[in-house]
This record gives sequence, structure tokens and C-alpha cells, in this order.
Amino acid sequence: MGDTAFRSRRRLVLGVAASDAHAVANRLIHLMLVQQGFRPHNLGVCTPLAEFADAAADLDAAAVIVGSVNGHAVEDLRGLPDLRRMGRLRCPVVFGGRPSIDAAGHPAARARLRDLGVDHVLDRPEELPAVLDSILSAALTHA
Amino acid sequence: MRELIDLDRAQRRRLPDWSEIVDRLRSSTRDTAVAVLRRGGGRPALQPRCGVGGHPEMLALLRALDRAGAPDLLSVTIDSHTRLRHFATADRARRENPGQLNGYPLVAHGWERGRALVDAVGVPLQVRHGSPDGRDLFAVSLAAGITSFEGGGIGYNIPYAKDVPLAESLRAWQQVDAVTAALAGHGVVLERELFGSLTAVLVPPSLSLAMTLLEALLAAEQGVRCVSVSYPQSGEVHQDVAALRAIRSVAARYLPADMTVFTVLHEFMGVFPADRGWAEALVHYGGLVGRIGAADKVITKTRQEAHGIPTAAANAEGLRLARAACSPLLDFIRLNEDRVTEEQAWIETEVAALVEPVLNRAPTLAAGICAAFADGTLDIPFSASVHAHAAVVPLRDPTGAVRYHSPGALPLPRAALDRQRGLLNQRTGRITEKILADINYFAAREPWAAEPEEATA
Repeated sequence: MGDTAFRSRRRLVLGVAASDAHAVANRLIHLMLVQQGFRPHNLGVCTPLAEFADAAADLDAAAVIVGSVNGHAVEDLRGLPDLRRMGRLRCPVVFGGRPSIDAAGHPAARARLRDLGVDHVLDRPEELPAVLDSILSAALTHA
Repeated sequence: MRELIDLDRAQRRRLPDWSEIVDRLRSSTRDTAVAVLRRGGGRPALQPRCGVGGHPEMLALLRALDRAGAPDLLSVTIDSHTRLRHFATADRARRENPGQLNGYPLVAHGWERGRALVDAVGVPLQVRHGSPDGRDLFAVSLAAGITSFEGGGIGYNIPYAKDVPLAESLRAWQQVDAVTAALAGHGVVLERELFGSLTAVLVPPSLSLAMTLLEALLAAEQGVRCVSVSYPQSGEVHQDVAALRAIRSVAARYLPADMTVFTVLHEFMGVFPADRGWAEALVHYGGLVGRIGAADKVITKTRQEAHGIPTAAANAEGLRLARAACSPLLDFIRLNEDRVTEEQAWIETEVAALVEPVLNRAPTLAAGICAAFADGTLDIPFSASVHAHAAVVPLRDPTGAVRYHSPGALPLPRAALDRQRGLLNQRTGRITEKILADINYFAAREPWAAEPEEATA
């Protein structure tokens, strides 16, 4: 693995979507990111999108990472276009988890999340570091 | 009755008079949930989870399960928006896209439709949810004629919400309990199931039992004399049977003598294997543990657990598998009773150490619970709530039993901690990797491999 010092140069905002109380994966992902040199700020479960936006602005975060496994991701992220339009959430948004309540609904829900303005839709936490690395490198180059 | 419980004004206006609610519950000729549990029948009562957003779809689901799975009770699992009292969001979702809700929004659909659910099937219904403040949902459930309501002020707050102060959730559930007690005075005994599964991931048995015991004591303070205490299957059979037996022994020691306690096993709630046969084996195993542990009820799982919310057909198969596991054909199975007895004694010791300091804290039991969570002497692993320290770290020992790797500030006795450490000290590696491996204990095993690597490491 190459030099990962850049991972700590910007904060990340992590949390679980507004209607979802699943805490275990969130806590483990937080630990995993810290161990790999990232600097996540964890808002925890049941976090409305506006709180992600406020935290990202306060911390000048490079990305917002929203987890959801209860199937309500599309409903919980429906405010994203408004926040984008108002300029309240400018950084990339990464979604990870189960996008809908069953496997049959996942493709449509993934497409809907992208329509709402989610930049990356991930299935597994293992995909996070590479995506975050690309976001951080881009942010640091353009800064 | 109405003076016992504070309800949302808009919801209260939609409800019938309390006298009508009580009369209907009293005069119903249907079995109550408690009647089913009292009748027993030589095996645990079996109940699946089930809940979908649309009303016609929910009716169809309940009917299909009643017909194909022959359950003893059925569930109305409530969607997450309603659990968090986001009634307007739930209402919009059920109008616009009910198929994408992860449960039945009973408050939004209203009590009249709830009655239709009750009338649709031949077995009693239970409302299962996860609301830190379930008062409005409770009132709508009663108006619907539903005789079983899950939850409590600890188990439905700390694992289910981010920032609801414990004092608030305890107060809300005290009101639910007060109404439950008053209804019993009218001859309507509700099933009040306390949720010992907590976050449902690597829950040490003594922690589960301590939380439900405290909730049962709070219920008893309000006059409740019948509770169901649930416990989540850990996956190690001696530990699980010991925990089910310990529910009865700690109840006998701490609860009023006239209190009825039903024991409930939640079939493994953690990460399920994707492989169908392996998932079915796990569902079967859960039924068997419930039978051996003499649980009064088993909440079943399905082979589709790894893939999201199950179809009615898969859910009915889960019931049939659990029933097969409860067959007298399997009565020849015997556990190592010495091992079960030893586990049970340790669980009892640990529960006493966790609960007794809380009982001695002034001024009230509820205040004592809040203070104990505030200083971490009550705590749960992986808490969703900011009102628990989440300093407890559990791990599995080489047999698969769940142990305390770190107790946080829990006041566990030295001897118990030494034993736990001794059981865990053969394990090496990073803590996050060990936790992940333990969470995936069943999911990660090759379906038909003889032993997990952990056991031989």
C-alpha cells in the first residue's frame, strides 16, 4: 500500500440515514476508517440529511457517507436535490448499504439515488477506501 | 383509562372512546395472545415477523401465512418511520409508494384497518416495532383489538434511536404499562413482550436478561402482572438454553410472586448465510433451541433473511421448519447438563451484579436506570443511542458462545471477568477483524464445512 497520509488531510462525515437505527455496521465502519488513516466524524444513526450537510459545512468535509440498510434510503435522501440547489451540501455524497427493502428493488433504487444526486452507490464497506481515496485525491489536487 | 396515557392530540381525535376500546377487547371471543401462550401445547408457540406497507398487501400476507404456515400468533411489524413517530412521512409513503415501506404503518392506516387485520386471521396478532415512545401506536393497536404489544423503555430506545433521553422513553413506557395493568383489571390481559434482543448482534446473555428484568420491574411498579421476556439466540446451544432457564430463575428471585413470565426465544437475529440450505439449517436450529430451552414462544426467521424482507412463502417455510424442529421425534437429543448448569449459574451471578446496584439507587427505579446508563454501569454494545456509552465489547469464545471482551464500566464481579477473559484469550488479531468474524459467524462459514476455523484455531 502506498502513502496514505493524504487520507487524514480532510475530514469525512459519516452517519446513518434518518429513519434507520442500525448502529452496528456504522460503528464498525467508523473504526475501520480510523484504522486506515481516514478522519471520519460519525453522526451515528437516524441522522436527517440536513444534519449531514451542516456537519460537512462546519468541518469542510471532503465527502459525506450515508449508510442505510432498512430499505428507506430513497425516502430518506429525497431532500438531497434541495440541499444541493441551496448550496448547503457541496461535497460528494457516498451511499452504502441496502438501497431498497428487497433485492428485486435494488436496481431501481440505485438509479433513483443517482438521480437524487448521490455520487457513489456502494454495496459493501470494503469498497469505501478506494472511493474515498479518489475523492480525497481530487479534492486535494483542486484545492 | 385516558388519564393514564398522554397521546398526540391529532391521533387521539381519531380514536374511538376508551370505553368502546375496552368493551370491544373484553367482549371479543377471539383468543388473546396470552391465552395462546397459557394453553402451551407441549411445544413453543411459533410466530413469524411480517409487515408490509400497503393495507391490501398486509391483509393478503397475514392470510397467506395463516393458511400456509399454521402459526400460533402472527406479527404486525411496523415501518421505521412510524417507529420514530414520523407519522406524516409514513402517511405520505403509504399513499405514494407503500411497497417501499419496511413495515405496516398502523398509525397512518388507522385503527379501523387494524380491526380488519385482526378479523382476517384466526390467530392473535402482536405489534412489533422499536419505538422509544410507542404510546400512540399502542392506543391504535388496542383500538384495533390487538392483544400483544412488544417493547420497553430501555430495549426500544437504546438500540433504536439516536437521541431520545432515557427518562422520556421510560416515562412513555410506564404509561403503556399503566394502561396494560388497568386493562387487566377489566379482565383483558395483554401480552407485554420485553425486547431482550437489543441490537441483536453478539448480545451477552446476562446483559439481555438484566435489561428485560429492569423493564419487568418497571412494569410491575405500574401493576403489570404478566410479561413475556425475550432473548436472542446467540448460536451456542448450552449458553442459549442456560439463558432461557435463567429468565425464569431471575424472575423468581426479583419479580413479584404473582407475576406470570413467558419466555421467548428470538431465532438468530444476526447476519444470516445466503446459502438456502445453510439458512434453513439455522432456522431449524432456532426452533430446536427453543424447544430444548422450554421457551413459551419462538419468533421464527426465514431462509431469505440474508436477502431482505422475505416472501410469504419463505416465511411460511420458516414456520414449518421451526415446527419440525419441535417434533417429539427429536426428543432423544440431550445436552451436557453440567455445562448448561454452569452457564446458567454464571448468567445469574452476572445479572445480579448488573441489576442490584440499580435497585439500590435512589430515588426511583427509573431514575436509577438513567443514572446507571449515564455512568456506564448499565451499557450495551454497539448502541444506536448517544445515551449509552457503548464501551462494552463482546466476542465469541472458541465454542461460539458470546462473552465480554471488554465490560466497559459494567460492575461485573472479578471472578466472572476472569472466566470470560480466560475463555477468550486464545484469540489473536485485530479487534475489528475479530468482531466482524464473530458477526459473520454463521454467514461466513462454508455451508457444509465441519467446523468454523475459529474453533480449531
